[in-house]
Amino acid sequence: MKISTKGRYGLRAMIDLAVYSKDNQVTLSSIAQRQGISISYLEQVFSILRKSNLVRSIKGAQGGYVLNHKPEEIKVGKILRVLEGELSVIDLNKISNNESKIQVCIREKVWEKMNDRLNELIDNMTLEDLAKNYRKNNGLIQIMYYI
Amino acid sequence: MKISTKSIYGLEALVDLAIHSSDGPVSLKSISERCKLSEMYILQIFLVLRRGGIVNSIRGAQGGYKFARDIAKITIADVLDVLEGSLALVDCIVDNTKHPCDKYENCTTRHLWEKIAKSFYELTESITIFDLVECYYLSSFKDCEIEYYI
Repeated sequence: MKISTKGRYGLRAMIDLAVYSKDNQVTLSSIAQRQGISISYLEQVFSILRKSNLVRSIKGAQGGYVLNHKPEEIKVGKILRVLEGELSVIDLNKISNNESKIQVCIREKVWEKMNDRLNELIDNMTLEDLAKNYRKNNGLIQIMYYI
Repeated sequence: MKISTKSIYGLEALVDLAIHSSDGPVSLKSISERCKLSEMYILQIFLVLRRGGIVNSIRGAQGGYKFARDIAKITIADVLDVLEGSLALVDCIVDNTKHPCDKYENCTTRHLWEKIAKSFYELTESITIFDLVECYYLSSFKDCEIEYYI
């Protein structure tokens, strides 16, 4: 049960935006370079992100993208749902009207509990949480030592 | 990010096996009839389950399949491990040598996927086949009409 590349790369792009777009817009080509994602793929992803109002595009020569909200106000769950649709370990459309007792038991005790865990995790995490991790992992935080 | 149909139907077949195991080995034919799945499909799943140590097959006239150990000791994690391979949402947390990613060391999103996979693992480790059988019997019990006499 793998997450799609759209979800993976889209999230990486949003983290990149959160880290690098403090007061300026960020171009797709700079994201492409830093994150190793093709520009054409980023264009597809950003078209979705823009339509969902997660990002805003700034046109013109110094154009690019900015986040539409503060990173601490954007839940990771929101980003993933916009890119992946409803997050569920089973296909919610395929649940029949005539579920057997066994199927009901498995759905309630296993699949739905997995979905609860997943949604709980990603709805309690913000883009800023991931941005903080990114800065830590990539040495972007300067640690000052005082003697 | 979906669980495969092999796991979904496999788990259903296993619970069915558990419910019908009191009289000895259960035939795949009977499981396939009750679960409304093709016998061929069930056979493929059970071959994997047998190789994975979840069930054993008994040959002969009264043959069929039975669980390899106590169903209270077989967790959903055990079953999914055999049928699904892994609950990982991305390949790099399973085996980074297959498609090496140059971002592996410093990857921010990998930690998110690891957290989710860990949470799934903890949950499925806490549920056993016995728990599902219990749920089945409890739901059957609720369907009985209880008559009160004063």
